[in-house]
Amino acid sequence: MASRPLSTPAGAGRRFSPGVMLPPLALLALWQAACLTGLFPAQVLVPPSEVARSLAAMTASGELQAHIGDSLWRLLIGFAIGAVAGLAFGSLIALSRLAETALSPLFLTLWQVPVIAFVPMMVLFLGIDEPFKIAVVAIAAFFPVALATFDGIRGVPRAWFEVARVYRTRLPDLVRRILLPATVPAVLTGLRVALTRAWVVLIAAELLAADSGIGQMMEMGRQLFRIDVVLAGVVVSGLIGFLLDRGARAIERRATRWRTA
Amino acid sequence: MSADTRPARPGQDHPGQNHPGKERGALSIAGLNKSFVIGGRPRRVLEDINLTVRPGEFVSIVGASGCGKSTLLRLIVGLDADYAGDVRLDGQRISTTSLDRGIVFQDHRLFPWMTLEQNIELALLNTDTPKERRAQIVADHIALVNLKGFEKAYPHQLSGGMAQRAAIARALVTEPKLLLLDEPLGALDALTRVHVQNEIQRIWMTQRSTMVMVTHDVEEALYLGDRVVVMSPNPGRIRRIVEVDLPHPRDRRSPLLHRLKDEILAELTSGAGQGEEEPTNLVHLPNREER
Repeated sequence: MASRPLSTPAGAGRRFSPGVMLPPLALLALWQAACLTGLFPAQVLVPPSEVARSLAAMTASGELQAHIGDSLWRLLIGFAIGAVAGLAFGSLIALSRLAETALSPLFLTLWQVPVIAFVPMMVLFLGIDEPFKIAVVAIAAFFPVALATFDGIRGVPRAWFEVARVYRTRLPDLVRRILLPATVPAVLTGLRVALTRAWVVLIAAELLAADSGIGQMMEMGRQLFRIDVVLAGVVVSGLIGFLLDRGARAIERRATRWRTA
Repeated sequence: MSADTRPARPGQDHPGQNHPGKERGALSIAGLNKSFVIGGRPRRVLEDINLTVRPGEFVSIVGASGCGKSTLLRLIVGLDADYAGDVRLDGQRISTTSLDRGIVFQDHRLFPWMTLEQNIELALLNTDTPKERRAQIVADHIALVNLKGFEKAYPHQLSGGMAQRAAIARALVTEPKLLLLDEPLGALDALTRVHVQNEIQRIWMTQRSTMVMVTHDVEEALYLGDRVVVMSPNPGRIRRIVEVDLPHPRDRRSPLLHRLKDEILAELTSGAGQGEEEPTNLVHLPNREER
């Protein structure tokens, strides 16, 4: 056991297996079957084949890519802002008892408010242009990252600081070699949670107020009674959220390879 | 035991006369008292501890859990400077940590994100060892604890015994005058423990630095120690100091060791009449089948 090669990927045991495709395929079959019964009008319960055709058409026209691009761009900018702010704020309240006492009750209260609840106010102040959507994403990302950073720093065992004291490790080395790596797992988990949460909130915000993006595409589809477009949006946002989560997990696993036994 | 009966330090340029003119690792503890505040009231954990450890000596400390033996080590290593009395290494009063004093904890405390090599090198960060020599020193110490080939291994890839040996290598890499061992083998299974005990004996005979080991295993204390300090709890006091007049490396079957073990066990268990704990909880009894 001691000589296990270091290059073995952590998740080697659960590689892609064809079995995971079964539930989605079953769902598709069920959906198609429900449509074939004719119990619901075809405009309301659009068959998957129709959704696939719409997706293909929107892809061919470049419309879908434009919406995805807009949404991902907002996610990227908003997430970057929210994550950096969350890291800074989480570190602050973790490292300063004064800041913790002063700020954490407000922080924890605001955290309980659904991000969407801020939307009406934000539309008033920021309009419905890019700053609004980026702000929504940033807020959605801020809280999980701040909380994870706080927990990560506070969770560093005393024992490790004692080791640093015994070897008289200097502060820069302590931060770089001990404190940062010790908090990385918690922070990465927080970033991943924040990323998927921000994506969900972004779609919701686009549904409410936007001129482009996956959410807006769905909202337009609803207004035009193009349920196929709405469902295409559901499929696309679901898939993108799934891929974001998977990508973030892969990064997380790579960065914390030392944890996996 | 006089120093000249000991084998010379192999691999050293000047065997037997390292750092001439400089005291190496003489520990003196005088009138040491230590209290903790528990539930708002001070509670004495160490009372009037007096102990002198000669340079190069191996002293074991045994006692029931709660006798303050680990606290004593924390004071000696300098992690806790809040005590009354005097703890001095080579005449200097101990008030904080120093690279002159190394410690091995019961949990190996290797950093899981660092390879074995990086873990050991960490100890050298704040030394004036030239950067280009560090790799060689680290490699030498990995070889010393017989972990060659595991330089790039992460702690989770090491067995308990290997991780503890790695921790010993890390503690020794700064060449401390005094090495403290705080129940270093407490978490290991019986077979691994015997193996690492042999390793510690071998390393100590190679290094010849002063070592103080805390353990609850009387046999281990006797096998390794030139002297065994027996402590009693509530408050922690030195009850008796046993000389183990046997040369190293020792034979575990030595009748003297077994006689002393019976004596110390009797001593430790008789003191339990104060109605604290079951005697069987007080000491660890390995190799019961011998008795």
